[in-house]
Amino acid sequence: MQAPPIQRLVTELGKLPGIGSRTAQRLAFHILRQSDEEAFALSDAIREVKSRIGLCEVCFNLAEGPRCRICLDERRDTALICVVEEPQDVIPIERTHEFRGRYHVLGGALSPIDGVDPEDIKLAELYARVEEGGIREVVLATNPTTTGEATALHVAEELRRRTPDVTVTRLASGLPVGADLEYADEVTLGKALSGRRAL
Amino acid sequence: MAGSLKTEAVVLRSIRYGEGDRVLHLYTPHRGRVGAIAKGARKARSRFGGRLEPFFHLRLILYEGRGDLLTVTSAETVAAHPRLREDRAALDSAARACDAVARLFETDDPNPQVFHLLRNQLALLDRAPACAGRANQLAFRLKLLVAAGLAPHLDACASCGERDHLSGFSGAAGGVVCGACEASAFPLDADAHEFLVEALGRPLADAPAATDRALRQAERAIGETLEHHAHVRWRPAA
Ligand SMILES: [Zn+2]
Ligand SMILES: [Zn+2]
Repeated sequence: MQAPPIQRLVTELGKLPGIGSRTAQRLAFHILRQSDEEAFALSDAIREVKSRIGLCEVCFNLAEGPRCRICLDERRDTALICVVEEPQDVIPIERTHEFRGRYHVLGGALSPIDGVDPEDIKLAELYARVEEGGIREVVLATNPTTTGEATALHVAEELRRRTPDVTVTRLASGLPVGADLEYADEVTLGKALSGRRAL
Repeated sequence: MAGSLKTEAVVLRSIRYGEGDRVLHLYTPHRGRVGAIAKGARKARSRFGGRLEPFFHLRLILYEGRGDLLTVTSAETVAAHPRLREDRAALDSAARACDAVARLFETDDPNPQVFHLLRNQLALLDRAPACAGRANQLAFRLKLLVAAGLAPHLDACASCGERDHLSGFSGAAGGVVCGACEASAFPLDADAHEFLVEALGRPLADAPAATDRALRQAERAIGETLEHHAHVRWRPAA
């Protein structure tokens, strides 16, 4: 049996995703061996991120202060909104440098199985943003998973009804670069075929 | 016992796990509900492609080791159901159908009838997405009750056997009841009663239509039967 403070640290580390009890044990002993400075840097970083980072009041991306850096950036196209499931989905889209509009982070995807209904994610806020006017296009960039597709279909239907003049688009789907055709599933390959382009 | 298991399965749920894996909840004809891990399934170059998503009907080879989860070693598509994936209501209906199966049939007890019902329901939603809705979902759930051995009594009073004046439904009694036995029952209109009888008697594709009021009563009858006899609750049918 180990001292209660060590047990507490092991328990807390074990709650992190992908960390089993043995890894938690190893991490705890690693932290114990560290200098005070190193160990406190970790605890301070956790404390700081939790106290300083919240959600942007416009797009619900992570933000330090009331608005995120993208919503504050005057050079971004305000008539274009890209809808994603989670804050971490903003990062890969930003890395493409292809998108110059703003975002709307839903905070999840619709899933009747998991009990996630329209009122559980930031959909009302999205509709309010679009209805306010000045929006030309909404790009639906939810994941190409079953729940992501269900969410995209739901949003598209609702926006067509509420704001028929706004263009609603969905990320194209098809074969990932570097994949083998022989392993492609029938849904992906079907979409890749129907979305083919002339060369 | 280590070895490999060849089986058909419907993917009920697919959960992101670790760096690039997926944990699947599967329903199989001869092993009931099975959990499996698909390593690397979320990587763009995965040989599984997108076929481990919910509502795929697959032919699988699973490796069975000592852990709770089997490991997916190969997956071949039997039916991908691409059309239901393009329709909001059909997708929603498919999710509710899979959820209903997952909640009532939680174990590895084999029940091929449940597998066939689920497979037929998904095939129907893919062939005719427009049939998605409450009536179809309730017909499917009634058939699940039958497969679970919980079919409600609909032809005579479940308490006393009286054949006329059937005016209520009692989950505790397990079916329709007459005016004299109504104590623990709620009122069931004649058209709701008829919906239950017809939905049970007909194939899924011909689920009868009914008024909203009748469908609400039918849903309540199905829900109370399930709660009383299986201690399970289903999410709303639509
Ligand atoms: Zn923002
Ligand atoms: Zn009676």
